[in-house]
Amino acid sequence: MKTLINKAAAVFFHHATWAGYWETVFQMVNPSWRDGYYQARVKSATTLNATTVQLVLAPQKRWPKHTAGQHIALTIEVNGKLVTRVFTIASGQKSRQDKGTIRLVIRVKKDGALTPYLDALLSKTASKVSVNISAPMGNFVMPNTVITNAALLNKPETSSLEQAAPEQIKPVVMIAGGSGITPFIAMLEDLNSASSDNLQSRPVHLLYFAKENEHLLTQELAEYKRLNTYFTYELLCRQKDGGVEQLLASHTDAHWMVCGPKSLYDEVANTYANLPRANDVSLDSEHFAAFPVATAQASGEKAFFSLSHNGSSLLVDNQQTLLTQLQQANRPVTYGCGMGICHQCQCVKKRGVVRDTRTGALSDNAEQLIQLCVSQAVTDLELQA
Amino acid sequence: MIRTINTNTVNSNTKIPDYTKLAIQLDAVKTDVKSKIGSEDAAYIRRVILAQRACEWTGRILLMLGFIQPLLWVVGVLSLATAKILDNMEIGHNVMHGQYDWMNDKHINSKAYEWDIACDGSSWNRVHNYEHHTYTNIIGKDRDFGYGLLRLSNDFRWRVKNLWQFVTYVMLSVMFQWGVSYHEMAAERVFFGKKKDNRKNQLSHAELKRRFFSKGARQLVKDYVLFPLLAGPFFLYVFTGNLVANLLRNLWTSTIIFCGHFTGDVQTFSAEDCIDETQGQWYYRQGLGSSNIKGGKLFHVLTGHLSFQIEHHLFPDIPARRYKEMAPRVQAIFKEHGMHYNTGGFFKQYVSVLKRIVRYSFP
Repeated sequence: MKTLINKAAAVFFHHATWAGYWETVFQMVNPSWRDGYYQARVKSATTLNATTVQLVLAPQKRWPKHTAGQHIALTIEVNGKLVTRVFTIASGQKSRQDKGTIRLVIRVKKDGALTPYLDALLSKTASKVSVNISAPMGNFVMPNTVITNAALLNKPETSSLEQAAPEQIKPVVMIAGGSGITPFIAMLEDLNSASSDNLQSRPVHLLYFAKENEHLLTQELAEYKRLNTYFTYELLCRQKDGGVEQLLASHTDAHWMVCGPKSLYDEVANTYANLPRANDVSLDSEHFAAFPVATAQASGEKAFFSLSHNGSSLLVDNQQTLLTQLQQANRPVTYGCGMGICHQCQCVKKRGVVRDTRTGALSDNAEQLIQLCVSQAVTDLELQA
Repeated sequence: MIRTINTNTVNSNTKIPDYTKLAIQLDAVKTDVKSKIGSEDAAYIRRVILAQRACEWTGRILLMLGFIQPLLWVVGVLSLATAKILDNMEIGHNVMHGQYDWMNDKHINSKAYEWDIACDGSSWNRVHNYEHHTYTNIIGKDRDFGYGLLRLSNDFRWRVKNLWQFVTYVMLSVMFQWGVSYHEMAAERVFFGKKKDNRKNQLSHAELKRRFFSKGARQLVKDYVLFPLLAGPFFLYVFTGNLVANLLRNLWTSTIIFCGHFTGDVQTFSAEDCIDETQGQWYYRQGLGSSNIKGGKLFHVLTGHLSFQIEHHLFPDIPARRYKEMAPRVQAIFKEHGMHYNTGGFFKQYVSVLKRIVRYSFP
């Protein structure tokens, strides 16, 4: 039915979707109504510490049920521009069922695109503010969990975990770094309220790394430990408590789950690779790359980045424009003036930062349209023509 | 570099400007305005889209009520024509120029937008955004100068067919959406003629043909079959209403565009002069190849701010509503460099266009 209506919209109004044709009209009544997005009302915004904000959102009813550990894209309009960032949902299905809310724990970066908006939210929480969110995504969930919205995922779920017999269930070791605690706190919430004893019979141990005194949500962790015998945790500081390797040495017959900065993931992955084969460890991971703070002016030293262009990848430098390098690599690209006027070479940047060669300005890290002929790579990039 | 100015130029005393300084000054205007672009501009384009929807539906409904009172039909036609003009000019033309791409909106961007006109959006993007805006008024490279139909300067050899080019012009205006649609087909010699060597076409002729017919057919079916059929017994009211609304839109857009490029004072350039052009020289060519029309606020909106054709050609991807505030600064810069800032009231500019068309009908 929906496709039929959209077909009609294309025939009668040259619009890809019927909802898109009416979007501006709907927005008269409801400013955050947006075709292709879900809406969520901001219930509260509070600071957890100097650099962390907790956002409680009430998604609209038709927002699909999420599984603890999944993430969403949060989209907000900042000075007329839609800015999108991806965050792990730091709450379980339980909160959604009971209170209709989900929670995000956001590290506020200096000069981050969302920062001014979050500040504004903090100052006027009482007023009714809505934001746009995506459907829940991702498959970083507790082993032996069926993802409820698997139909929404691009990748089919591997069914091996679901088929695992109960006696094969191994202990879980969660390794979190900084704000990487978020998926685990969601999983702990749902484990805590799980009806099946089966799930709760499995020991769960959390190794939580953060800077001294910057561990987040410690009260909740203490509460889960008090309530559940299966759960134990250690608050760790890398300077004081040493590397990951020796801490993991005593957990070699377990399912490892790591979420945190890339450096932490690399360390865990190394440890994993060095394990003797006999040890039956599984490793799941979700890591976020901290984007290098690049200077906005000169291109600086020559550096190379990987560019994924329509699925295939190549190496590009930061000295020439992306268009030049794609042409040299004989990639099929559409182009025109070569000076940023005609928008023929425009394509969708899925992620990564580019520099505008005309102004030296750096782009956002999120999805947006860029012109290849006036863009240079600043980080690894993913493009879609 | 010395630029040859065509013989038909009025300003024989045009001096050669300091191109470097010109570029710095115009860049400064651009940077300044760019820093202001934000929520106001996003709200503005959404408001215009809202107005377009209102006009479109008012128009479509009133057309059917023509049986009660013919005057309702007339208002309906005007309303629908306004909707089409808003869609083609202030929304379509400007959005497809990438002026609102910074918004990251799924629908309001140059890749997604498709307009209510017979011309396929991406075809127009190639010929207009690329050729016309990059090579503005370079004879042989910018086909928009006369559209290969009209002789508008001595750069072209006189032919007998130029004698009746005024009639050709009127026909083109009446059929303007088809002219725009056929433009790339003619340039690429898709249907007739010998293919030119200097065209690096990115699409095969078959693909161009397919898109030309596909969009054209969709437009015809929508305007003259589907909407009239939906009206049931009022088929003819809607059919003729759409016909007249399209005609009004064609005449309006054609007239505005001719006033922006073919007034008497507009200059042409030769390809040799533009080799290794600097930013300043590019600005210079854009500035002298365009002309503005003075008018009120509503007039500017209905022209898609192409009444600020000079500013549009200097800064094609700045949201068009900003041209008005840029104009006084641009005019002052032009004056400083002794460049002619070609502007005037609608009638003055239009008469000037008509004179040019008639003048070059003759050798």
